[in-house]
Amino acid sequence: MSFFDTHLLNLVVYLPLLFAALVWMLPGAERGQIRTVTFIGMLVDLVFGVWAYLRFEPGGPEFQLEYRTRWLEQLGVSYHIGADGLAISLLLLTVFLGPLVVMASQTYITERVKEFHLSLLVLQTVMLGALVSLDVLLFYIFWEAMLIPMYLLVGVWGAEDRQMAAVKFFLYTLAGSLLMLVAIVALYFISSTPGNRSFDYATIYNSLVAANSQISTCMGTGDCERLTGMAGILYRWGPWLFAAFALAFAIKVPMWPVHTWLPDAHVQAPVAGSMILAGVMLKMGTFGFWRYAIPFFPSATHQLRPFLATLAVIGIVYGALMCLAQRDIKKLIAYSSVSHLGYCMLGILALTAEGATGSAYQMLNHGVSTGALFLLFGFLYERRHTRLMSDYGGIAKVVPVYTASFLIITFSSVAVPGTNGFVGEFLVLLGTFKSSLGLAFGVLATLGVILGAAYMLWMVQKVFFGPLTHRENQGLSDLSLREFATVLPFLILVLVMGLMPQPFLDRINPSTERFVTRANLGAPGSRVQASDVRISVMGLPPAGLAAVPHSPTTGPLADRR
Amino acid sequence: MVPISYYLILAAALFCLGMFGVLIRRNALVVFMCVELMLNAANLTFLAFARQNGDLTGHVSAFFVIAVAAAEASIGLAIVIAVFRSRGTVSIEEIRTMKH
Amino acid sequence: MEALKQVLLQLRLDPAALWLIIALPLVGAFICGVFGRMLGRANVYLIACATVAGSFLLSVSAFLAVSPLESSQAVSMENAFSTSAIRYAFGYDYGTWFSTGTFRVNFGLLVDHLSGTLLLVITGVGFLIHLYSTSYMSHDEGYWRYFAYLNLFVAAMLSLVLADNLVLLFVGWEGVGMASYLLIGFWYSDTAKAWAGRKAFVTNRIGDFAFLIATFLIVLLVSAFNSQSNTANFTLVGGNPETAQVRYREGLQMKGPVAFQGLEVFANGMHGTAEKAQGGVSLETPIAEGPLKDRTFGGVLTVALLLFLLGAAGKSAQFPLYVWLPDAMAGPTPVSALIHAATMVTAGVYLFSRMSYLLVLSPTAMVTVAIIGTITSLLAALIAFAQDDIKKVLAYSTVSQLGIMFMGVGMGIFWAAVLHLVTHAFFKACLFLGAGSVMHGNADETDIKKLGGVRHEMKQTWFTFMVATLAITGIVPLSGFFSKDAIFHGIHHNHLHGYEWASGAIYYMGLLIAACTAFYMSRVYLLTFEGKRSPEAKIPHAHESDWRMTAPLWVLATLSVVALFYALPLMPGRGGVMQPVMENFLGPVFSSAERIASRGGQVALDHSIPSLFDYLKAWVVALTGGAAAAFMYLKFFPARAGQPAPAFARSVRRFTQNKFYVDEAYEFLVIRPVKNVSAILYKLVDTLLIDTVAVRGTAWVTTRVGSALRYVQTGDAQAYAAVMALALLGGAVYALIQVLK
Repeated sequence: MSFFDTHLLNLVVYLPLLFAALVWMLPGAERGQIRTVTFIGMLVDLVFGVWAYLRFEPGGPEFQLEYRTRWLEQLGVSYHIGADGLAISLLLLTVFLGPLVVMASQTYITERVKEFHLSLLVLQTVMLGALVSLDVLLFYIFWEAMLIPMYLLVGVWGAEDRQMAAVKFFLYTLAGSLLMLVAIVALYFISSTPGNRSFDYATIYNSLVAANSQISTCMGTGDCERLTGMAGILYRWGPWLFAAFALAFAIKVPMWPVHTWLPDAHVQAPVAGSMILAGVMLKMGTFGFWRYAIPFFPSATHQLRPFLATLAVIGIVYGALMCLAQRDIKKLIAYSSVSHLGYCMLGILALTAEGATGSAYQMLNHGVSTGALFLLFGFLYERRHTRLMSDYGGIAKVVPVYTASFLIITFSSVAVPGTNGFVGEFLVLLGTFKSSLGLAFGVLATLGVILGAAYMLWMVQKVFFGPLTHRENQGLSDLSLREFATVLPFLILVLVMGLMPQPFLDRINPSTERFVTRANLGAPGSRVQASDVRISVMGLPPAGLAAVPHSPTTGPLADRR
Repeated sequence: MVPISYYLILAAALFCLGMFGVLIRRNALVVFMCVELMLNAANLTFLAFARQNGDLTGHVSAFFVIAVAAAEASIGLAIVIAVFRSRGTVSIEEIRTMKH
Repeated sequence: MEALKQVLLQLRLDPAALWLIIALPLVGAFICGVFGRMLGRANVYLIACATVAGSFLLSVSAFLAVSPLESSQAVSMENAFSTSAIRYAFGYDYGTWFSTGTFRVNFGLLVDHLSGTLLLVITGVGFLIHLYSTSYMSHDEGYWRYFAYLNLFVAAMLSLVLADNLVLLFVGWEGVGMASYLLIGFWYSDTAKAWAGRKAFVTNRIGDFAFLIATFLIVLLVSAFNSQSNTANFTLVGGNPETAQVRYREGLQMKGPVAFQGLEVFANGMHGTAEKAQGGVSLETPIAEGPLKDRTFGGVLTVALLLFLLGAAGKSAQFPLYVWLPDAMAGPTPVSALIHAATMVTAGVYLFSRMSYLLVLSPTAMVTVAIIGTITSLLAALIAFAQDDIKKVLAYSTVSQLGIMFMGVGMGIFWAAVLHLVTHAFFKACLFLGAGSVMHGNADETDIKKLGGVRHEMKQTWFTFMVATLAITGIVPLSGFFSKDAIFHGIHHNHLHGYEWASGAIYYMGLLIAACTAFYMSRVYLLTFEGKRSPEAKIPHAHESDWRMTAPLWVLATLSVVALFYALPLMPGRGGVMQPVMENFLGPVFSSAERIASRGGQVALDHSIPSLFDYLKAWVVALTGGAAAAFMYLKFFPARAGQPAPAFARSVRRFTQNKFYVDEAYEFLVIRPVKNVSAILYKLVDTLLIDTVAVRGTAWVTTRVGSALRYVQTGDAQAYAAVMALALLGGAVYALIQVLK
């Protein structure tokens, strides 16, 4: 076993932090060096990330590239990381965006350059950490830690109203995630007896399986009031705990009606902030539903599914309608994210293999296409410092290469077949039609296909076509070599992911099947066997030092410890 | 032997004297002295229980309290003097700046 | 002769090379689009034309491969879904595109007689139009963009035709829509033209919305069929039923539920009524599980087909989604000829011909297709009466002709619809290119009232345009006459069960439409080419275009004459009766539809040949329309020049000229409400309710509570101490009470 066998994920996660230390040691005036070091850091991280992605075997065990060591043993916490198909895909997306974000900010950021790049690197580490953590507390730490660098990115390097947007983003997200913390702690206490308690994902999940299948069995017959023990507690409190998890994730997704932080944050954020926010951070919400909320509480999921699916469909249509009412380009793109993430949520909630795979793929697509839209608009904003559509018009003639790139990404965003967007959207919709949700959900969600074309092309029309209406736009320069080099990977990926989705889907598919089986454990009268859904992970390594024997407390207060 | 309740009653009386002094006197120095009174009332209970139980933990605590009281007195007096220098008064009513 | 046969045999395309047909124009598009400006004009022309020409040669070779010179050499390919091979077809499967769960889509290409014919039309007409464009666009700065888009279009159209499953077809389907969007808005600095592009795309998207839902319903239907069907169903498929069923399941695993071959087996295996089913699945069987539970197979199939109809209406400009096509004339004229006349807009007809076996299972869907076709055709013909823009008239004429094809498809005369598709591609492309030539020679004048007498200056354009006009009006020896008449004859003699009245009604409507066609086409021709040159003309003398523009005109005019060959009853058909060449040629494609129809449940298809009387009737109708136009525009109106028309006539004219206010109705009923709703939702729900009331409201309440509570903070240390003391006291008292209890 070489170093890379055991530590590859650690390397991917902490490499940005290492480079952050390097950047920290550089003097703040050396902007070029800071940028180069950050860029190299992200690039090396990309290499290792791709390596990890390639090492991930689609047919292998659920969690791969695992690493586990002792940490905070008294609390039942261990440092445990590993990746399943979805996590490794999102990890790939994250490391892919890393270097491009640095390149995109090269001229955009001129003040506090050092701090900016430090934030980027730290943010990269915590995002990757949240994706690969297999310990719920570890996940929570990374999850909350994500807020800080993002808050700084929006609040320090943002546009005119940045403070308001940053605070709104911070409080909105925090409100949800604190509730989630309560739910995590409650779960910790519910899931096991004193002395055996653990925050480990697999341990918690496995100890809930039996109770969950009891609940779904009794839901089939209808006498759940007599459940006792863990199943009884889970039956009574499960929906509330699920709601707490769901709220935290729904805010991050964001689902209607808790989406209003997103337009503000996107509008105010610098190009790097928008790209990361759209590209990776929103997926943390859907990822959370997939990894935590739904598998932990399958019966509660089934109870609340119509409600959540309704919210998702509202999000799709409502987000698209909002786009038609915008004058601000960034706001339009932000609302289009609400619409696209609605598809992701709907796909997950369809609980069919097609829907969930489509949803996972749509997460990647959205990261690529919306990330690229923000990137491209960032270039334009750098030149003209206005976000209003009416301040542009007819600029296609002045910036042809830019226009062509923007059009390709637009087609990807409206899911024209042959681009990446189509595969995801098609699978999500197919999954929704196949699911037990009812045809109305599918039909209404498909409406988004029309509206998507309507608003995206409307924006393209207003910005690029028609006669040149503003004299200031006459002197716009087309994409520079550096800028084009930043956009090119996106353009290539749009086509590659559209024409050859199978290599990506192969890694997602096994995860999807496990996810769907686990979620269906909660269907009333479900026949899913508990043994089919158990998660097996690496055990704790033997302790190097004998731990101090911890005498279990006895007496009446023991289980309140 | 004097019963423990006598000590405790005395300590309670001292404590109440100190407490009411802290609550109603205006002069910061007097307030300080009342705080000392309360601390000493606590000391008295420590010692009374130590004697009752026959172990030394109470004595240790009493010494600890005396040390804390000494430190408190010195810092507190220094603050009072500093306040007097800057404001020309040691009346608590007149140095209410930390409000609303 | 033998030697020639041998050579032709050598030229047969290898199935694995089918992808090249699509890839060539795609590469052309890439090179022209990315390096076009560096390469310069001549190179771009060369690359664009050469790739399409190469594609044409490959298509010819593919066509040769499926069209045996002798029946002993007939190709056949293995059918993934059935034990019997598919005759006169070949294809290649390049493996999975995407698959998950039980769903799978492959990159599978298929050439049979139907797609082979269309391949030739697309690449052949496509090449001619590329050639024409090299002259037409010779003064345009954006030539490289133009040719890139045009090549992209050809590639997308080819993948639409070659696809062997619905989803891959959808790639082409949307791809042509995208290319069409780019080409309509080619002169994007003109706002109106750019908006026309968007209108086309969004309208098409409404169709695509229906197409997608229909595809999903088909997926659900196929999976329900797979789980509910039994060997009684597979006795209909042929061969040993058990083997057939196993084979079908293997096919589903290998190629997924949306492959056309699988749908064909599905259609073949579907019984018409419950009595005949003997325990198998019939159209009346309810679906047992899943989201479509308790709905019948037939019902869901009808809904899916109606949704496909809406999809086809979007792409093929049928009522109610035809509104984008007239506006699409904003694009360069060769584009109108290629995309909005010859190829893309026929995609709907192609789709239904491809899925003829599904269509014949549902008379309701068929009659709806036919009725939509009739309405569209008549409406467009009436609008065309009063249009003055030469391209607009041709556009409405296209809509009208497409309506005729839909009528044919809807009434089950598939081969004639396809034949009309082909002949229409020839003469309509010729008309559009002729119109382009006229515009080119008359300083881009499109108003026919301001042209006139062009025949003397543009002899070649005039002659070819005349031939094409005669073809579309249906004058005897030209192809349009035969193809249109074959459709009308089929409509008259085919019967849909439950809708017997449709045959007669639609037939007579068809004759009326034919008369209208003759009228407005003659009008365009007469006003443009005959008479005197209008005093309002932009330039005093027109000039003839150069050979790159006229050569395609000649070729197309020739083709629109010789295509009549396909409608002649020259081939021996069943029972020794002679069959039209096209019917015979497309026989293998529509054999499943025939077989299902011959079970007698849903439709009765007729195979008779029109009698001389039928021909005469059609001919008289066309002549009447043409003669009426000749009278009106050569005698009546010139004689009344200067006199105002009666008020009634003017108001009718205004009404038709404004296209019956359909666009305005849509604006008022759909676009405005959507815009207003979104604005209101944004202002009311998003900004006010959620953001201001809920989100900022929370913040506001917190602030208010905080500022109210801050008055507790008096700054009096003694007050704080008193509160502390009281609280302690209270706590102590409470504890005492608890202990004493």
